[in-house]
Amino acid sequence: MKYTRAVVSLLVVALVFWALDNRHGTFPPLGKLLNPFAGFWQNGSRGDTLPERLSVRGLRDEVRVAWDARRVPHIFARNDHDLYFAQGYITARDRLWQMQIQAFYAAGRLSEVMGRTSLESDRFNRRFGMVWAAERGVEAMKRDPTAGDTVQAYADGVNAYIGSLRQKDYPVEYKILDYSPEPWTLLDSALLLKYMSYDLTGHDDERWMTAARTALGEATLDELFPFEPPNFVSPVIPRGTPWDFTPAPAPQAGEGEAPAGPEKAGFPSAHSGRTAGASAFDPDAPEAGSNNWAVSGSRTKSGRPILANDPHLRLTLPSIWYEVQLSAPGCNAEGVSLPGAPLVIIGHNQKIAWGFTNAGDDVLDWYAVTFKGRSHKEYLYDGKWLKASVRVEVIKVRGEKPVVDRVVYTRQGPVVWLEGEPEPANKSVPAGAALRWLAHDPSNELLTFYRLNRAWDYDGYLEALASWDCPAQNFAYADAGGTIAIWHNGKYPLRRKGQGRYILDGSNPADEWQGWVPRGQNPHVKNPPRGFVSSANQKPTDSSYPYYLGWDYASFERGNRINEILEGMKDITPEDMARMQNDNLSLRARMALPPLLAEIDDRGLAPAEKWALDELKGWNFENLAGLAAPTIFAQFWSDFNETTWNDKKTGGLWAMHWPRSEVVIDLILNHPDSGFFDGRTTPRKETLRDIANAAFRSAVRELQAQCGPPGRSWTWGEWRRAGIGHLGRIPGFGSEKLPMNGGGNAVNASGPGFGPSWRMVVELGAEVRAWGIMPGGPSGNPGSRYYDAGVDDWVAGKIYPLLFLKSADEANPGIVARTSLGGVK
Amino acid sequence: MTAVVACLLIMLALHLLTPYWWWVMIVPFVYGAAAARSGGPALLAGFFSAGLLWLGGGLYFFFAGGRIIAGRVAGMFGLGPSWPLVVATALVAALAAAFAGYAGYAVRDLFKKKTAARG
Repeated sequence: MKYTRAVVSLLVVALVFWALDNRHGTFPPLGKLLNPFAGFWQNGSRGDTLPERLSVRGLRDEVRVAWDARRVPHIFARNDHDLYFAQGYITARDRLWQMQIQAFYAAGRLSEVMGRTSLESDRFNRRFGMVWAAERGVEAMKRDPTAGDTVQAYADGVNAYIGSLRQKDYPVEYKILDYSPEPWTLLDSALLLKYMSYDLTGHDDERWMTAARTALGEATLDELFPFEPPNFVSPVIPRGTPWDFTPAPAPQAGEGEAPAGPEKAGFPSAHSGRTAGASAFDPDAPEAGSNNWAVSGSRTKSGRPILANDPHLRLTLPSIWYEVQLSAPGCNAEGVSLPGAPLVIIGHNQKIAWGFTNAGDDVLDWYAVTFKGRSHKEYLYDGKWLKASVRVEVIKVRGEKPVVDRVVYTRQGPVVWLEGEPEPANKSVPAGAALRWLAHDPSNELLTFYRLNRAWDYDGYLEALASWDCPAQNFAYADAGGTIAIWHNGKYPLRRKGQGRYILDGSNPADEWQGWVPRGQNPHVKNPPRGFVSSANQKPTDSSYPYYLGWDYASFERGNRINEILEGMKDITPEDMARMQNDNLSLRARMALPPLLAEIDDRGLAPAEKWALDELKGWNFENLAGLAAPTIFAQFWSDFNETTWNDKKTGGLWAMHWPRSEVVIDLILNHPDSGFFDGRTTPRKETLRDIANAAFRSAVRELQAQCGPPGRSWTWGEWRRAGIGHLGRIPGFGSEKLPMNGGGNAVNASGPGFGPSWRMVVELGAEVRAWGIMPGGPSGNPGSRYYDAGVDDWVAGKIYPLLFLKSADEANPGIVARTSLGGVK
Repeated sequence: MTAVVACLLIMLALHLLTPYWWWVMIVPFVYGAAAARSGGPALLAGFFSAGLLWLGGGLYFFFAGGRIIAGRVAGMFGLGPSWPLVVATALVAALAAAFAGYAGYAVRDLFKKKTAARG
C-alpha cells in the first residue's frame, strides 16, 4: 500500500513537472512562464527606466546616448567602430527577439523554434536559395573593409548585449516559445537583407503567364498586360525627359527565342484548390509599395527643398523599423534602421535626405530544366549534358530528428520544386524550373547606406548608389544646395523585350542574361522643369527608354495622384507634405465609378441596392473609415473584375492576376464595346452595361451576406478590420482593429496588415528640419509603454517633429535621459 | 506554520539566485521527505509556501510595472482581465508544490517504520 502510494505520488509529481516545464504545441511552459522571478512577470515596464551608465565590454571609447521623449536613441560615438557597436547593442536591447526570429525565418530555421509546423516554410526558404545568397553576401561584405568592419562591429555590439543577459531578462517571446537567444552573426545580418530582397523582388508571375499564354494566346496577353500602359499613366521619370547617354546595344527579339511549352515548363494541367495566396481574394489588397517625392525650393514656401517618403510594408508589432540618430566624426545621420542591420536606411543628415520606393523591375527568372533521365544529376545546356550540383540543407526540427533536403542547382540556380515532389505553398513556383534571381549574386548594399549616411551632395549620393544591386529602388534625393533628383536604381540584366515574362528555356544560352545595363544609364532625372520628382512603384519610364527592365509594375493610382497634387501646389510647406501622405482619395473610384454608375439600371432595385447606389452617387471618392461607399466600391470593383475576367481563366489559371486597373479603366472609358466584356460561357453577347449591373447587384448581395443589413457594419473602418498583429502572431500582443482611413490604391496606402510603415518629411536648408512617425514605438517589449506608442497618432495621420542633435552635449528640452556606455578594460 | 515560512524563505532565496521555477517542487518535496510528520501537513506546507510566494511575487511585479505585460499575457490566454493571471500564478505553484510535498512525505513514509524500529 505504502509502495503504491509512493510510486503513484512520484509519478504524479513527475507528470506535473513535465507538464509545467515543457511547451505543448503552442501552449507555453507554464512553470517557467508564470515564475514571478524569471518568467513573464519580469518583462514589465520597469525595463523602460534608462540607466545612466552601462558597462559594455568591447567599446574602444565612451559612447553617449541621449534619449528623447519618444525614447528614440541618439547615439554619439568617437569612432565608426563604437558607433555601430553601440547601434547593435542599443537595438538588441529593444528588439533582440525580433532580430533573431526574422533571421531564423529567412534562414529556414523556424522549425528549430516552432517545430514541424514551420517545416514547409523552412524548406521553401532554403530551396529558394536564401541561405546560399546570404553566405555569398557575407563574403562580399567581408571583401570590402568598410562594410565588413561596420557589420562586424554591429554584430559585436549585439553579442555584448546578449552576453549581459540573464534568463529572466530574455524578451518575453523567448519565454513563451521556450528557447534562448543565440550569438548574432554576420550571416544573420545578410539574411535580413536577403529577406528584404525576397519581400520586394521575390514574386513573379511567369508560371501563370506561361499557362495563360497557352490558354489565351500571346496577343491577348499583350493586350491585357501591355508593356506600355495607357497614356494617362504617369511614369516615374516624366514623359519626354531626354536621356543623357548613348545606350549600349541590347539583345533583340528573335535571338534564341524558344518558348517553353506547358509540359516543358512542368505546368500542372488541372489545378484545384486555392491554398497560399498568390491571388487569394482580397478586394482591397494594397501593394507592397511605397511613395516618395521631393519638391524643389521653387515650389516651397521657404524656398528650401522638401523630401517625403512612406514605405508601405507588412505592419507588425514590434515595428519593422527602429528609429535612431547615429553620429561620429564625419557622420551625423538620422532616420530609421532595420533591426539586425547597421546604419540609417531611410533618413537624412545635415545636408541631404533620401528615401526609397520599390522599383518593381524583373530580376527573377525561371528556367525550365531538361534533366537526363529520371535522376537529377545531369541537365541539358547548349547541346551538352552538364553536371548538376547539390546543396545539402539540414533542417533541425524541435523535438524531432533533423530533416535533410538535397537541393539541386543548375548553372542558373536552385530548382525550387522538382517534378514529382509535393507542390510548395508558394504557387508562383513552376515545377522543374531553376531559379535565376539577382539577389543570389554577391553584392554589397550596406556600402550604399554607409555612403548615404555620409554623403554631402549629389556626387556623394551618386557614389552611394553605385554599389546598390538588389532590390532595385527609386532613390529620391534632395539636398541643402537645392538639388532634387530620383534614380530608378539597381543592377539590371540586359535582355530582349519581354524576356522573362514567360518561363525561359534553361538549355538555351540565348535565354540567359546577356550582361548588365550600364550604371549611369539607369532611369533618372535631376532638377526636372516641373520642380518635383516622385515615385510610387509605377512604370519607371515612357517608351523612349532604350532598355527593357520589366513589365509588372504597380497600378497607376498613387503615382498619378501624387503628381496631380504636386502639380497643383504652390508655396508648399512640410505640413502640406505630411497631409499629402494621408491623402485618402481613390483615383480608381474617381475615374471608374462615374461611367460605371451611368450604366446601372436603377429600376426595380431592392432597398439595400437603392441605398448602396445612393451612397456611391453621393461619395467624394475619399476612403474614410466612417463611410460605407469605399466598401461598396471595393466590392463592386472586385465583382466587376471577377465577372469580366474569371471566365477567361480556363484550365489551371486560377492564380492569374486581373489586368492592372489602368487597363480596365481604359476599357471602361475608351472601349465599352470591348469583346472582353462578353462572357465566354454564355450564348448572348454581354456588354459593359450587363457586367456593371450584374457586378453591382452581386456586390450588394455579398456585403449583405458579410455584414448584414446596410449600416455601420458596412463602413470602411468596420469592414476592413485593419489591425497590426504581433510579428510572431501571439494573440493579445498586437493592436487589433484600428479605424484606418486610406486604401490599397490611395496615397495613404493602408490595408489589413499593410500600410505606411514609416512616414517621413524632411526640409533641407541651413538648418534641417524633419518629421516622422511609424505605427509602433521603439521598444519591442510588449510589456513596455513604448511598444505600441504612436499607433493611435499614426492612425489619426499625425506626424512628430524629429529631434536632430548636433552634439551629445547639446542642451535640448526634448532630451529626457542620457546614458553613457563605457568600455570595460 | 514554521514549515511554511521556512520553505517560503528557502524558495525565495533560491528564486532570487537562479532562474529555475522548479524550486517550488524541490523544496516542498525535500521538506516532505525529511521532516513532515504526515501527508496532510506536507501537502499544506507545499501548497501555502509556494502559493503565497508566487502570489506575493506576482502581486509585487504586477504593481511594479507589470500591468501592461500581464494584460498582454492574459490576452494571449484569452482571459480578459489580468487579475486571473495573478491567481493562476499562485495556483500553479501551490498545486505543484502540494503534490511534491505529499510525494516527499510518501517516500519518507516508506522508510519510517525502519527508523522507528531502529530507534
